Amino acid sequence: MEHSAGKMATGTTDPAPEAPAKLELRNISKWFGSVGEGVHAVDDCSIEVKKGEFIVVVGPSGCGKSTLMTVGAGLEEPTHGEVLVDGKPAGPPGPTRSVVFQKFALFPSETVEQNIKFGLQMTGVSAAEQEARLAEQLKIMGLEQFRKSYPSELSGGMQQRVAIARALVMQPEILLMDEPFGALDAQTRTILQEEVQRLHREKHYTVLFITHSVEEAVYLGDRVVVMTRRPGRIKRVIDLPRDVAWKTGDIELAAEHPEFIEFRREIWGLVREEIVSI
Amino acid sequence: MFEKRLERMGVMTDRGKATAYGIFSLSLLLILWICATSLFQWIEPRVLPSPTRVIGQFAWILTEPFSGLRLPGHILSSLERWGWGVLTAGLIGIPVGVFFAWNPWFRTFVNPVFELIHFIPPFAYIPLAVLWFGASTATQAMVVFVAAFPSIVINSQLGVAQVEKIYIDAARVFGASQFRTLWRVVLPAAAPSIYTGLRIAISNGWMALVGAELVVGKVGLGFMIAQGQENASVATIFVGIITIGCLGVLIDTLVQRTERFVLPWRKVAS
Repeated sequence: MEHSAGKMATGTTDPAPEAPAKLELRNISKWFGSVGEGVHAVDDCSIEVKKGEFIVVVGPSGCGKSTLMTVGAGLEEPTHGEVLVDGKPAGPPGPTRSVVFQKFALFPSETVEQNIKFGLQMTGVSAAEQEARLAEQLKIMGLEQFRKSYPSELSGGMQQRVAIARALVMQPEILLMDEPFGALDAQTRTILQEEVQRLHREKHYTVLFITHSVEEAVYLGDRVVVMTRRPGRIKRVIDLPRDVAWKTGDIELAAEHPEFIEFRREIWGLVREEIVSI
Repeated sequence: MFEKRLERMGVMTDRGKATAYGIFSLSLLLILWICATSLFQWIEPRVLPSPTRVIGQFAWILTEPFSGLRLPGHILSSLERWGWGVLTAGLIGIPVGVFFAWNPWFRTFVNPVFELIHFIPPFAYIPLAVLWFGASTATQAMVVFVAAFPSIVINSQLGVAQVEKIYIDAARVFGASQFRTLWRVVLPAAAPSIYTGLRIAISNGWMALVGAELVVGKVGLGFMIAQGQENASVATIFVGIITIGCLGVLIDTLVQRTERFVLPWRKVAS
């Protein structure tokens, strides 16, 4: 957990290289419909997420990056390849891999606290423990006053806070986030990006984060995976500096830092190639 | 102009407006009725009785037994049959509709039968119901059931089929079993549609009931109307028809009112 905290620079040299990755997508290909005729969403993608790492997958829209997430979560079976957790086949979806969906996917018939407690109830956590963890998450995400509200009574930003709380309350080993801020307005997005950055710094979550925003990728990621257009392949993997001052501050300050600008230019260049060549 | 007046009367809320218009149009109908009968006698009394005549008959049936029972007695026996029919249709129809949508195999297997059944008018079952159950409550209840069942199945199925996959994905991610996903996520999301199905079933059942009672039975509102015809008492028929209409509206209103309590999260969404 601490290994990523004290390190500077690339992150490619792991202190314990023999340890298997927390989450590994190995040679994943995904066809929707029959192979050769249907839609080839993802082609031979391999991604390793080490414990405590924040990996961001970025690519043009429709490049299959969300498919990668659903496969990683176990919601879809890959056509080829396998998903490993701690080096073992990951199996069906479950609470070790929590997901934050782009469209929140909060259960509309349940209040904020019922939504957050959902996974705890499904996995047989004791009532006392449920209440304790709920209270903690409500506090962290600033949702205390909304605990009895229904999702439809909340703004998009608040709904996504609930969705993040619902994922974090499971104390997941891996957090998968599928364009979680894509549906939010710019201001709300900024606030939540900073909060996720802070949460990751403090709690060292292992995160696979999907986005189409290059800024978001540079600001949040320890490593950025750039994908090609469909069928999505891995175009480039870029290691970003970790624990530098600009990554721990506000995003608009970070965006003015020369290093940030350089990485953004590089990554955007790669993404742009994929869009322009369509 | 009319709206302005309503505004002055302080009933400009949408709901108040609807009520006001409702009262207005019903009063208009009543005035027309009075004109056509009591006032100008455009229509013969044996074709269309006057409101006073119908009210008199209403009061009479309320206190004096007509064909064995007073009006409340006929109403109660109609309501009983209708209640049993709708209840069984709901108890069987909701699970069937839900499994239709949830289990593709079940749908492929049962759907052809269902398609066929749903095009047979409920009244076609009356002779069968009589043969099976004789002249008992079950006979009319069966006709109500047949009339109520399809809309419950279809709407339950639609409701479940329309639940967005992302909710089911979310339930799976958070460790819910198939059954608990169905119970806690899919059913609540499908509930508004199931509710619509129930409302349609309730009114379809009500209509089928009256039809069945015209043909078979010794009590009930439909029977009362049939007896009105037998005794050449147009007023009795009108009492029956108006009672049936008013009860229908009343039941539907009551059901609508319960939605708020059964589906509390909907009040915000709508």
